[in-house]
Amino acid sequence: MNPDFIQTMILTFQVAGITTIILLVLGIPLSYWLAYTRNRGKAVVETLVSMPLVLPPTVLGFYLLVFFSPVNPVGGWLDSWFNLRLVFSFEGVIVGSVLFSLPFMIHPLQSGFAAIPPNLREAAATLGISRVKTLFTILLPNMKPGILAGCVLSFAHTVGEFGVVLMVGGNIPGETRMASIAIYDRVEALDYSTAHQYAFVLFAITFATLLLVYIVNRRFARMELA
Amino acid sequence: MNNILGTITAIDTDGNLSLVDITVSEDIRMSALIVETPEHCPWLKAGKKAKVLFKETEVSIARNLSGQISLRNRFMATITRIRSEGMLAEITLASAEHEVVSIITSRSAQRMELKTGDQVEWLVKANEVSLTGN
Amino acid sequence: MIEIAVSKRLHTAEGPMDLLFNGIIGKGEFITLFGPSGAGKTTLLRMVAGLTLPDAGAIVVNGQAWFDSTRRINLSPRQRSIGMVFQDYALFPNLTVAENIGIALPKEKRSTIVSELLEVAGLQELAGRKPDKLSGGQRQRVALARALALKPAILLLDEPLSALDLQMRLKLQDELLYLHQRYQPTTLLVSHDLSEVFRLSRRVFVLDRGEVTRSGSPTEVFSQSKISNKFRFNGEVVHIKPSGVVYIVHVLVGQDVVQVIASEQERASLTVGKRVLIASKAFNPLIMTLEE
Repeated sequence: MNPDFIQTMILTFQVAGITTIILLVLGIPLSYWLAYTRNRGKAVVETLVSMPLVLPPTVLGFYLLVFFSPVNPVGGWLDSWFNLRLVFSFEGVIVGSVLFSLPFMIHPLQSGFAAIPPNLREAAATLGISRVKTLFTILLPNMKPGILAGCVLSFAHTVGEFGVVLMVGGNIPGETRMASIAIYDRVEALDYSTAHQYAFVLFAITFATLLLVYIVNRRFARMELA
Repeated sequence: MNNILGTITAIDTDGNLSLVDITVSEDIRMSALIVETPEHCPWLKAGKKAKVLFKETEVSIARNLSGQISLRNRFMATITRIRSEGMLAEITLASAEHEVVSIITSRSAQRMELKTGDQVEWLVKANEVSLTGN
Repeated sequence: MIEIAVSKRLHTAEGPMDLLFNGIIGKGEFITLFGPSGAGKTTLLRMVAGLTLPDAGAIVVNGQAWFDSTRRINLSPRQRSIGMVFQDYALFPNLTVAENIGIALPKEKRSTIVSELLEVAGLQELAGRKPDKLSGGQRQRVALARALALKPAILLLDEPLSALDLQMRLKLQDELLYLHQRYQPTTLLVSHDLSEVFRLSRRVFVLDRGEVTRSGSPTEVFSQSKISNKFRFNGEVVHIKPSGVVYIVHVLVGQDVVQVIASEQERASLTVGKRVLIASKAFNPLIMTLEE
């Protein structure tokens, strides 16, 4: 098989995997807050989280590009203090992906938290169980379908993203060239057979992961009914 | 449960027992034998109102009753309704301006050939009569 | 001793309602809050638990202020020594019976206390089961055992038996009495079931539209009849059977079911589950010795 193809696919899954893990770590506290807060700022945060659903990816990509460019204060500070350059780099693609897939992690987790009967949290409180222990021993284990859905959707969505990566990362083989960009690149070069190889693999993987989510969720639902 | 309001007119106490006379109306003066004394019961005083309670099944019915009988609670009444079903019959009576219900066996009701409009007497033993303060 | 003096404005379907409660509860007492739904019973229980914030007042438990609006004190539920049994039990579905009971206990004491409670509540066989594999009565026992695990100062029971059938309810009432005797937590029970009030509690507060309308022993509060009869009992109608012109009414008095004849007119006010006073003349009952 074409080494470029393999390299691109590995990179794609690396980006998707790392993005998913980061999103899960960020998403649990953020969705917990969104599900249970009575703070008035909630609406604003919810809107920001949902923006990537409707915003053209290129808009997000464009602002990230401007924001993280070394000539900009933030980009310059990151560059000089951490030697971290977030444009046209692997790290930049990760940051872009995390922001862009945020709603796909937050929404299932937030619904998961909201679906847990409030009296389970109250019961934990009356038993003197700390909030953190409640989160890990009671809340998260009772929202596995939500966690699974969040992870799979974030992963699949990152695998399939295009606009943000192209804007922030460009098309550097082994660094920022992900499968969806490779398809575009191959079509431009009239190399339809390689484009098809990428396209088919993406199609198959996306189908398989979503199918898995539905099957697993059905089993969870049945277990809850039993 | 028959429930008739009256006024206590006399109380005769012996130890823990009291024989209480209650005037319900001109024609109906009832007696109740109860385990209670005026000393312990605030409403058990001559002149106070009290409700006279007795079970339908404790009310006997007589016609042309003659001879001597220990019962003092015996009053004239007119049968207004008879409902008989199976073993028991429910006889509704109008006695002065009060309604009294008696439940007797259907067999007795038939033997006595009771029917609506008949003049009868109803009887209840004083120890079957309960009182409650109003 | 628990001193409660709280007020809260509640917004109900029939408009605003002021919940007012003033009461002192002795250590180890078993108190019922009785009243129709929407009277504010559960809200009061939640205020003691710290799950609902009163508008004003104070809750002082054994000298310690749990809530005091003037001193701006409000302990969180986590800081209050309480055990609560929720109406639908609120068992943790991902944990086994033993884990549910032991979750709040420190590790070194966990196994001894859990095994004691499993034994007392008759749950040893079910220790490894998840809540969804338990019957209603079993869930109730787990919830009670969990609430007692930390030996709380106050046990709060929010209609814990309302979802169970009569037989199970009676059995669990006995168990509840036994557990109360054994661990002696000060207990507040929310109930709208009169027979429960009579069987379980020594003192009852009747709440209606947010206010305590009556309080005292269940007999004082509910048997206001001035009837003179010395032979009388409180009971619960468990069955009504027509028989010709009369009805045979089965009444549960304590542990025994007695049968009483009721006329058509008496029958009209009786339904199964209704609390009733049955009285007879002291002259009637036959009395005889039992064989020993």
